[in-house]
This record gives sequence, C-alpha cells and structure tokens, in this order.
Amino acid sequence: MFAFQPGDPPSPRSREPRVLPPGLADRVRPTTPVAGRTLPVPGPLAPLFPGGSLRRGTTTTVAGRPGHGATTLALALLAAASASGSWCAAVGLPDPGVVAAAGLGLDLRRVVFVPHPGNGWAEAAGDLLSGVDAVLVRPPGRARLTAARHLSARARERQAALVVLLEGDAGASGWPEGGDLALSVGEVAWEGVGRGHGHLRGRRAEVRVSGRRAAGRRTECSLWLPAQSGAVALLEGDGPAGDGPEGDGPEAA
Amino acid sequence: MERLVVVWCPELLEEGPRGEEARRFARVVARAAELCPWTHPVRLGVCALPARGPARFFGGEEAVAAQLAVAVGEQATIGVADGLFAAVLAARAELIVPPGGTADFLAPWSVATLARPDLAVTLQRLGITTLGQLAALPAASVSDRFGADAALCHAVARGESGELPGLRDRGIERRLRVARGEDPDRGDAPPSPFQPGFFGGASEADRRAARAVVKVQARLGIEAVLLGRVQGGRDPAAQSVLVPWGSPDAASAPGAGAPWPGRLPPPAPAEVLRVPRRAEVVDADGRAVAVSGRGLLSAPIELVSVDEGPWQAVTGWAGPWPVTERWWATRRRTARLQIVTEDGVARLLRTERGQWWVEALYD
Repeated sequence: MFAFQPGDPPSPRSREPRVLPPGLADRVRPTTPVAGRTLPVPGPLAPLFPGGSLRRGTTTTVAGRPGHGATTLALALLAAASASGSWCAAVGLPDPGVVAAAGLGLDLRRVVFVPHPGNGWAEAAGDLLSGVDAVLVRPPGRARLTAARHLSARARERQAALVVLLEGDAGASGWPEGGDLALSVGEVAWEGVGRGHGHLRGRRAEVRVSGRRAAGRRTECSLWLPAQSGAVALLEGDGPAGDGPEGDGPEAA
Repeated sequence: MERLVVVWCPELLEEGPRGEEARRFARVVARAAELCPWTHPVRLGVCALPARGPARFFGGEEAVAAQLAVAVGEQATIGVADGLFAAVLAARAELIVPPGGTADFLAPWSVATLARPDLAVTLQRLGITTLGQLAALPAASVSDRFGADAALCHAVARGESGELPGLRDRGIERRLRVARGEDPDRGDAPPSPFQPGFFGGASEADRRAARAVVKVQARLGIEAVLLGRVQGGRDPAAQSVLVPWGSPDAASAPGAGAPWPGRLPPPAPAEVLRVPRRAEVVDADGRAVAVSGRGLLSAPIELVSVDEGPWQAVTGWAGPWPVTERWWATRRRTARLQIVTEDGVARLLRTERGQWWVEALYD
C-alpha cells in the first residue's frame, strides 16, 4: 500500500514542519479532527469531562445507589452523541424507560437496546463496540477482571466510548479495571411531591467525577437529574442558599 | 390445555464461551426428572413438567414449585399456568396463574413475547402493543389479514392454545445428550435464517452498526436487539415500546409528545418494569391503604414495602390519579401514585383490586 524503503530513516523533512508558511497556519487542520476523537455530551454535563466531551476509546464508569439516578446519568451521556448522528447501544438495562431516554435527548433511531443479554453481556457489548460509537453496559453484579479488561481494550482499539453503569453495592469498584473517568451520583432529592399533592418535578443530584483522566482534579457538579423537561440541567442559584457545593468553576479563593 | 410447571434458569438461557450451560442445564433436567419423570426440556435453560400429578403428590402447585426450586440446584424461577406459552411467562414472573386465568394473565404482556418481530412491528404500528389488545381482535380478521401464523399467535394470546412454532427448540434433546457425553458428533446450532430489514439511505456508520447488531442477534437471538419508540398512552409502560431491530420505521413516533388525557406529567421514569413488582402500602397504624371508588386514599401513607422487602418510610407521595381505562374486554379501575421513600428513591405505583404494584422506577 504505502511505499516503504528499508534503510531510509524518516528524515526531519518528512515530519510536520514546525513553522508553517504564513497564510497556511490558519487553514491547516490535524489529520484527525478533534471532533472525530470525541463525542459530544449535553451541555450541563460538559464540566464533568476534560475537554467538555466524551473521548472515544475511553471507559467511563457511572456509579450510584440503585434508584438514585445513575441510570439517568448514564443514558444522558449518550444523548448528545446519538442526537448528532452517532449510533449508541445500551446493553443489560433490563427495563429501559424509552420515554425517559427520549426526554434526556437520545435520538431513539440510533440507539439499540439489548435488555437481556444474560451471560453474554460482555460478548454483546464487545460486538457492539466494534460497530457503534458509544456503548452503555450494565454488568450483572461485579464484572470479572478479564471481561472488564477485554471491553476497555476493545473500546480503545475501536475508538468507541464505553460507559459502564454500576448500581450495585460495590459502587465504582464493580468495574475492576477502574474507568478512565469515574462519575458517581451522591446525594439526591426529589422535588415537587408533598404528602399527597404535587407531582415529581425534578431531582437534585450531586455528581462527582474522579479517575485517571480527571487529571487529579475532583470535580463536583449540582444537576437536575432530570429536570422537569426530562433533560439534565445545571442546578444553579434557584435553590435555598448554601444548597450544594459550587460547580467546578474557578475557585475564587 | 395441559397445566404445566415451567422451570426457567436465567443463567442458562444462552451458551456461554465455555459451553458449560448445556451441561448444567442437563443436570437441572435430570434433577427435576427425579421429582417428575415427565420432565422435558423446552429449550436451553427452560424445562416443563405436567402440573397435575406432582401437585397431587406434593400437596399443591406451590409445594411443587418449592420442591423444584430446591431440587434443581441452579438459580431458577418457577411458574405454573395452562399451556406452555403462559407457563413460560409465569415462570419468568414467578407466578402461579390459576386455571382459566391465562388470558387475563397474558393481557398486559407485550406482543414482542410472541417472538414474531415482523408481526410485532405490524401490530405495534396499528397501536396493538399487548397480548390483550391482540386477543380482543376478531379471530377471522386476524387470520385474513395477517395469515395463519398470526392466527396461532392470536389463539395463544386468547389463552386458547399454549403452543407456538418456535417455542420449543427441536434440537435441545440432542444437545443435552451431547452435553451428557452420549453423542460425540456435536454440531453447532443452525444459523438464524432471519435477515433483518434495513433503514433506507444507509450511511457507512449505519452499515457498521447493522453488522454489529447482526452479530449480537446471532449470539443472543433475533429478539435480543430492540429499538425504542414513544407512542401515545397514559402510563409509561404504554408509552414506551421496544420493537425488534429490523422495523423499517422505528423512528417515527405516533402520538409522541401529543397531549394524552390522564397522562402523567414529565419527567418520565428511567426504568419501566416489564413485570410489575408487588408492593404493600400501609398507614400509620399498619393498615393497608386503599383507593376508594372516588379516587381518594383511605389514609395518609406511612410505609411501603416492595417485593416483601423491608418497610421504608414514605417521605412524600402524589396522587392518586384514578384511571378508568378501556381495557381489551372489560373496564378496569386503576389508580396511580408517585411515592418517594426516605432513601431518596421515587417509584410509580399502581393499584388494582386492592393490590399495589410498582410499575416504574425513577432511577
């Protein structure tokens, strides 16, 4: 395919010149566009991600106590990607709420669900990682190390984003490899329901991010997970004073 | 229709990479056969036995189910119903369906349970999503319009028949003989003849995705891969539809976003349970809370327990919203309630004939 002459070491000339001629510098683009290496996430979730987007080839874990919104958060991670034309898959969510998924912004035309993969969950996720851009997988219980390694490696190799939903007691340790990025849902509180009146309007949630790719920083974010619209939204300033920690904005000391 | 006990082993439904499932399932069948010699495998992970004899011997169907649960030595759920189809679903739901109650039991299940993806898509386009709705169609028009196989499905949905082509894996006996080491020449299961339909105007990304989906279908079965659709309906279960991959028009959403009288306000629950979970709801004195004919609660709610789990304090609730639905044959009165418990979890509950069910989880 490519001409290759043995014994002809790459000369400095064959590399990218350090100084581009004037007029060209603002017209060149890297061979892999930045947009091609990342997948968009909904705006309110962008502060949780280095670079503000979901990087292809990485593994993101989403942990939380059952019923505390980890499913909502994990589905939300697929919303902007599917809406901008990427195919996504959700493996092992036994009873996905399709209306909720649509409300979060997922384009249901490009989201395939494999609700009951049984013992084949890792294999199914592996198959899908080679064909779609983002795979959300919920392992039944704690994943085996080999399965976790294999899937993370497959995601890297196929440049797909792997999102792992961990709702068991093990929390983030349910994925023995650990994720490049680890999101976890902390304190939550539903709004809108009294003793016999109102209706569920939204859930306040504290979401923390850590992990290898969090670059040492530990960010917290207060979100509506979901808001009344059904989508995720930043929770800012409309609650009582001192309600939740600051976002990840610059710490004005 | 013969009354059957079905043993459903969720871990043994598919052959794993090490191929030990068939061996383990062969042991399950052998152990069940010790209780009842007429035990027969239906497909990998599912076996059935006639209920009548063992029920007489062990003192009731509950006793048979309990005996089997202990005897099989694998994670298994057990159900009893008239006919194989209903008995399999009963096993998945861990229920004993009373004789003659088949049609009522089947009514809320999705038409997807028939494992007829094409028919399911066609029916869902007509707004028929449950077996109850299918059963309500006149038999003659079903067979005229959809053909002989659909007529069989219709009879099953009505609780008139329990057998459906494809329900039994014809190769299972042989496979188990192989697993027991009785037959050395072992062949792989034949590849599925189903070619999935395809979206028009496919891009390279669509084709890549389709290839991956076909791989998963080859691994887990045609019905394993689903697309979501939103349609009109009052409750999340009716609005959320999962259609098998291959539907040419899974995108368009009839009724999506349209105002629907009595519909719950958003946000929608992220987990809609296919099989509702039993719940108990009590007041401060520990008495069961009921909804009156006028749609009022008998007392303020204090505690809730799901699936006979621990009691949890209720911190808030909304409703009840009474819904008198036009159901497939009869009118049934239900009411819905959103309940938030002390652990911060919100659930959607439904009550019907004095029994509470968890329909969905706002996860």
